Amino acid sequence: MRNNIPATSTVLNALLRADFTTQWRNRRSVVLVFLVPLIILMSWKGLVDKLGGAFVLSICITIGLTAIGLMGYTNSIARDRDKGIFQRLRVAPLSTWTIMVSRLTVQIVMILALIIAVFIVGFYVDKISLTPAGYVFGFTMGLVGSAVYLGLGQMIAGLIKNPETVSATTRLVYFAFIMIGMFGELGMLGTEVQAIVRWSPFGSVKRIVSDSLQPAHWTIQSTQALLATIGYAFVFSLLGIKWFRWNTK
Amino acid sequence: MNHQSHTPILEVSGLHVYYGNFHAVNDVSFTVNAGEIFGFLGPNGAGKTSTLSAVEGLLKPRSGNISVAGFDIHKQPLHARANMGVQLQATSFQPELTISEIIGLYAGIYGAAINHEQILSILRDIKLEDAAGKRFGQLSGGQQQRVSLVIATIHDPHLVLLDEPTTGLDPQSRRQLWERMEAIREKGHGVLLTTHSMEEAEAVCDRIAIIDHGRVVAIDTPEALVDHYRHDPEVISVSRKGKITLEDVFIGLTGRAIRS
Ligand SMILES: Nc1ncnc2c1ncn2[C@@H]1O[C@H](COP(=O)(O)OP(=O)(O)OP(=O)(O)O)[C@@H](O)[C@H]1O
Ligand SMILES: [Mg+2]
Repeated sequence: MRNNIPATSTVLNALLRADFTTQWRNRRSVVLVFLVPLIILMSWKGLVDKLGGAFVLSICITIGLTAIGLMGYTNSIARDRDKGIFQRLRVAPLSTWTIMVSRLTVQIVMILALIIAVFIVGFYVDKISLTPAGYVFGFTMGLVGSAVYLGLGQMIAGLIKNPETVSATTRLVYFAFIMIGMFGELGMLGTEVQAIVRWSPFGSVKRIVSDSLQPAHWTIQSTQALLATIGYAFVFSLLGIKWFRWNTK
Repeated sequence: MNHQSHTPILEVSGLHVYYGNFHAVNDVSFTVNAGEIFGFLGPNGAGKTSTLSAVEGLLKPRSGNISVAGFDIHKQPLHARANMGVQLQATSFQPELTISEIIGLYAGIYGAAINHEQILSILRDIKLEDAAGKRFGQLSGGQQQRVSLVIATIHDPHLVLLDEPTTGLDPQSRRQLWERMEAIREKGHGVLLTTHSMEEAEAVCDRIAIIDHGRVVAIDTPEALVDHYRHDPEVISVSRKGKITLEDVFIGLTGRAIRS
C-alpha cells in the first residue's frame, strides 16, 4: 500500500525533458553565448594565416566554453536556487545528484553544439580544415576543458548566494578571462603576464584545445597543460560541491 | 471520525531545529494518523514551516526522530519522501515551463506515469483546462494554489503536507480546497496543514496543535481545546463576546503581542 521510489532513469528522464525545454525557451540568451566566439572567428578570418588555424579555433572554443560554464550554467543554478525551484524538487523522492546531472547534461550538449559550430564556421568562413584525428581529439579536449569552467561556475555559485551578484561576478570573470587571456597570450601585456596566462585556467584550456586540433604538435608542454587543466577542474569542482548550498537562507 | 484508523502516518518526536544559535523548534512531538486532518496553528515565526521543513528533509534538525509511513526520514529519506506530497509555503516552478509541462515533470519524478490526455483531465478537474499552455506566473494566486495542490497529490501519497494552502484564496476556492482535503482524508490518507484561520481549523481539522516560540503548547480536537480552556483566566480575559471560541483559546495561550 506504500508508494514506491521511482526509478532513477524515470526521474532523470523527467528532469532532462524539463531542463532541455527550459534551455530551448531561453534560446535567445543561448544565441548570445554562441555569438561572441563565432563573431571573433569570422572577424579573424584575415589573421588565420598569421596565427594559424588551430590557434584561432582554440581561442573561439575556449571563449565559448567560458561563456557556457560561467554564464549559462552558473546563472541558471543561482537563479533557480533563489526562486525555490530546487527546494520544490528536493522534497521529491529523488537523489539531489540527479538534479545536477540533468543540468550538466544540458550544458554538455551545449558545449558539443558550440564546438561543432566553431568547426563548421571555421571550415566554411575561415577555410580552416583539420585532420579527422584533429577534430576528434579537439572535441575530447574541449569537453575536458569545459570541466574547468563548469567547476569554476559551481564554485562561484557556492561562494555567492545572491543571483544578481553571481551574474555580475560571472560576467566580470568572463571578460577578465577573455581580455587578459587573448591579449596576454599574444604577448601584448609583456612576457610575465604571458607566462601567467599560459598556466591560468584560460591558458591551459586554450593550449590543450589548440594542440589537440593538430595532434602531431602535441608535446610534453601540452601534456603539462592537460595536467594543469585536470587539476583546475578537480579543485574547482571539489570546492564548488563542498561550498554549494541548496537554499539561499 | 470513522475514517480515522489511529495508524500513525507521520510521527515526530523530540524535534529540535536551530538556525545558528536560534532555537526555532524546541522539543516538538506529535503524530498524524491515517485518515486525519491535522492542523498546525501558531503565530508568525512560531516554527511551523521549520517543523515541516524538517519533515520534508529540507533542513537537518539538531535532534529528534521523524518517520513517514514507517520510514525514518534520515535512514530512508527517499522512501519517506515517496510517501509524502508537499505544498511549500513559497512554491516556485520553472518559469519557462507551461503548466502541463510542470505537471508532467512532477509526475515523472514521483514515478506517476501519466500521458498528455491525463494531464488535461487533471487540469479539467481543477477547472484550469485553459491554463495547460500558460506559465505558472501567469496564473492568479488561487489558481497557482490549485496547481501546486494537484502536484502535491499527483502520486496519491499517504501523507500530504500543506503550508498555509488557503492563504489568499477567495471563499469559493477555500471551500473547494477543504473538500479536496476531506477527499484525501476519505481515502484514509493523512493531511498536515498549517493555517492562521481558526475558522478553517474548526471546519476541517480533526485535531490541532498550537505551537508558540518553537514549542507545542496544546494538542487536541478543536472542541476539546475550547472545552478544556473554557475556565482559563487568560482565555476568558481575551474573549470578546462572552462565548469562548477557538481564537480566544489561541490568543489566550500564545499572548496578545504581535510577533516580530
Ligand atoms: N533560514 C533561516 N535562518 C534563520 N532563521 C530562520 C530561518 N528560517 C526561519 N527562521 C526563524 O525561525 C523562526 C521560525 O520560522 P518559521 O518559518 O518556522 O515560522 P512559521 O511558524 O512558519 O511562521 P509563519 O506563520 O510566518 O509562516 C522565525 O523566528 C524565523 O525568523
Ligand atoms: Mg511558515
